[in-house]
Amino acid sequence: MIHDLSLLVENWPLLLIGLRATLSLAAVTLLASTVFGVLLGTLATVRARPVRWLVAFYVETFRDIPLIVTIFTIFFGAPFLGVPLQPFPAVALGLSLWGAANGAEIVRGGIQSIPKGQIEAATALGLHAWKIYLLVLWPQALRVLLPAFTGLLALIVQSTSLGALVGVTEFLKAGGLIIERSTVMQGINPAFAIYGFILLVYFSICSVLTALSRRLERRLATQGGARAVHAPDPSSV
Amino acid sequence: MEFDLDYLVQQLPALRAGLLLTMQVSAIAILLSVVVGLLGASARVLRLPLLSPLIAAYVEFIRNTPLLVQLFFIFFGLPSFGLTLSLFWSGVLALTLWAGAFQVENVRGGLAAVSPGLGEAARALGLTRWQYLRLVGLPLAVRSGLPAMLNTGVSLVKNSAYVSAIGLQDLAGVAFDRIASDFRAFEMLAVLLVGYLALVLSLSAAVRLLEHRLQAPFRR
Repeated sequence: MIHDLSLLVENWPLLLIGLRATLSLAAVTLLASTVFGVLLGTLATVRARPVRWLVAFYVETFRDIPLIVTIFTIFFGAPFLGVPLQPFPAVALGLSLWGAANGAEIVRGGIQSIPKGQIEAATALGLHAWKIYLLVLWPQALRVLLPAFTGLLALIVQSTSLGALVGVTEFLKAGGLIIERSTVMQGINPAFAIYGFILLVYFSICSVLTALSRRLERRLATQGGARAVHAPDPSSV
Repeated sequence: MEFDLDYLVQQLPALRAGLLLTMQVSAIAILLSVVVGLLGASARVLRLPLLSPLIAAYVEFIRNTPLLVQLFFIFFGLPSFGLTLSLFWSGVLALTLWAGAFQVENVRGGLAAVSPGLGEAARALGLTRWQYLRLVGLPLAVRSGLPAMLNTGVSLVKNSAYVSAIGLQDLAGVAFDRIASDFRAFEMLAVLLVGYLALVLSLSAAVRLLEHRLQAPFRR
């Protein structure tokens, strides 16, 4: 116990490096998921069928393939295509492709939650399709999908732990390094305490995000208007 | 580098063994997680002292921590606590605990959808709360919660690929090993994409079929 605590204190800098990598991976992924999620989610609501099919194909593919397989495919496949990727960008790319698919589902739900009558009214007023999106649909959709994106961020933070498997020194990997070092140099295996500590840190980050997501959802419900889009269920992504 | 079909054929036995292991781990974990879900949801609904808040905490904890870290904690952490499990059972335990938390919520959702009149009728007939759950509540809850429960099962199959991270030779484990030893990425990645897509899509097709069947009494 004392040994475990002193290990945590001694290796604080390494843990901080790991935490920073975890958070930057999450930030990059959130950004890409939002941008491409809005783009793809919007395309999923346009009139042209082939476009909707293509988006649906993309979304289904990246939601059905295990994320770990996507990340390994990119990391190990890229060199064969002549563009070797460092671990960090490879993981960021894999997470973003997956995150964009989930973001697209959220955005599609948000846009479709807006009553059809508004689109008809806007059309009757002579607004162009893109103006309908810009002035009518997006502003309202953004409001209802904020809780869902907060929930998605909690999932993204959890998923960044996969980076450990291809050599990104994120939070989980940092913990693994500490365990290895202590086992080899001091003959004491602190895996229980270190992984337990790592679980607790992930828990505090993600439960704050989950609670925030629930609160935003409740607030929208009391404000009336369109209902919030549900956050993606961790067991369905 | 090109796609080498002969190489792929050569690796088929190993890949088949991996696929079988994936299906084994998933099947056991799905069954166990449903048991966890039924028991957990019952304890929550009966508001059993001590147990009910514990299960609520368990569900929150699983929801808000990465499955990979849970797996590492079980496989690498528990032995230093004196509890050593084989690779296989570590994987099964991690997946069961993970999916079990979601099954608790799925069954609870199903129970909430059972009309309150049935509970009142059961009480009027003198059934105890346990009897109500066992004879009325849970059967109906499973029926209405089944799609959600099976969706969690589909996710479990997908996430079973995580067990390759502790060295289990499931479908993903075999393929990743071959990539590392033979530098044959294309063939193996193709197998992985096709293999998991086939597993997930056929399971979700089964879900939809079942959903359709369960709706039969309510359809004209």
